Amino acid sequence: MATASAQRVRTRSRGAPIDPGGIDLPLIVRELSAVAEYVTKIKREIGALRANELYRARIPVAHDELGNVVNATQSATNTIMAAAEEILGSREEDFETYRTFVQDKVTQIFEACSFQDITGQRINKVVDELAQVEKRLSRFAEAVNLRDQAAHVDPEDAAKQARKEQLLLNGPQDAAVAVSQDDIDALFG
Amino acid sequence: MALDLKMPILVVDDYQTMVRIIRNLLKQLGFEDVDDASDGTAALAKLKEKKYGLVISDWNMEPMTGYELLRHVRSDEALRVTPFIMVTAESKTENVIAAKKAGVNNYIVKPFNAQTLKAKIEAVCGS
Repeated sequence: MATASAQRVRTRSRGAPIDPGGIDLPLIVRELSAVAEYVTKIKREIGALRANELYRARIPVAHDELGNVVNATQSATNTIMAAAEEILGSREEDFETYRTFVQDKVTQIFEACSFQDITGQRINKVVDELAQVEKRLSRFAEAVNLRDQAAHVDPEDAAKQARKEQLLLNGPQDAAVAVSQDDIDALFG
Repeated sequence: MALDLKMPILVVDDYQTMVRIIRNLLKQLGFEDVDDASDGTAALAKLKEKKYGLVISDWNMEPMTGYELLRHVRSDEALRVTPFIMVTAESKTENVIAAKKAGVNNYIVKPFNAQTLKAKIEAVCGS
């Protein structure tokens, strides 16, 4: 292997002085300097990625915020539905009592709807965090000329993807591409 | 269109809020006998215990999806004629076509309203 390497060095030299042993030392020095420079650049880019901060702070914040959104939405939905169910189930016959009762329940519904403002702010925070992650990753990928490695596939992820494809688990679509109820009705004649 | 309001209905959805919404809508339409299941596996068990006049199922559930439930129902001699409506957020044409090929009677995309649900139930179960 050392012999082959030396041969390569001799072949690639362009008139540079070759030492008595046939090794182009200046070329080796230049190439090692280039490698060292590249390693330094990679280290700098990895540092700029601030992976620990992403992992310890930004991703958990996004995770927590989305969890809070789910909880707030669920809580508000339950409150709204409970109020609506009470209105529908009321057997009150006195009009004034019924009106007061309905007004009270409608107020509860309005109050519960205030979740939208808070969840909107939480989602904006998540969008900001994800934008930071995206920015750093794309900068890193560009800086080190990173290419996706097709050979490495997470088996768990692959199994999930296969199930999604097999069972057509596409999830909700953007309004622009989603099929409308009218189109579906047309398919069913 | 006349509907048998005593007809037992099975609502299959893993999201309890949606189950509650559909139950309330069915109650408003006058249906009294409504059961629910949280996925296809639980639904199949209920379908084998009791004769239902209609299944209203979501698509995306674990471990058994609504699509798998539909195929099980259509391949089971005792269940194959059970009316089946898919109520789902899966809004790609390929989903609708696959469900139709598998034998679904109708397909509703979420979000939907009471009128749509009523119209589809009438179309599938009305006499």
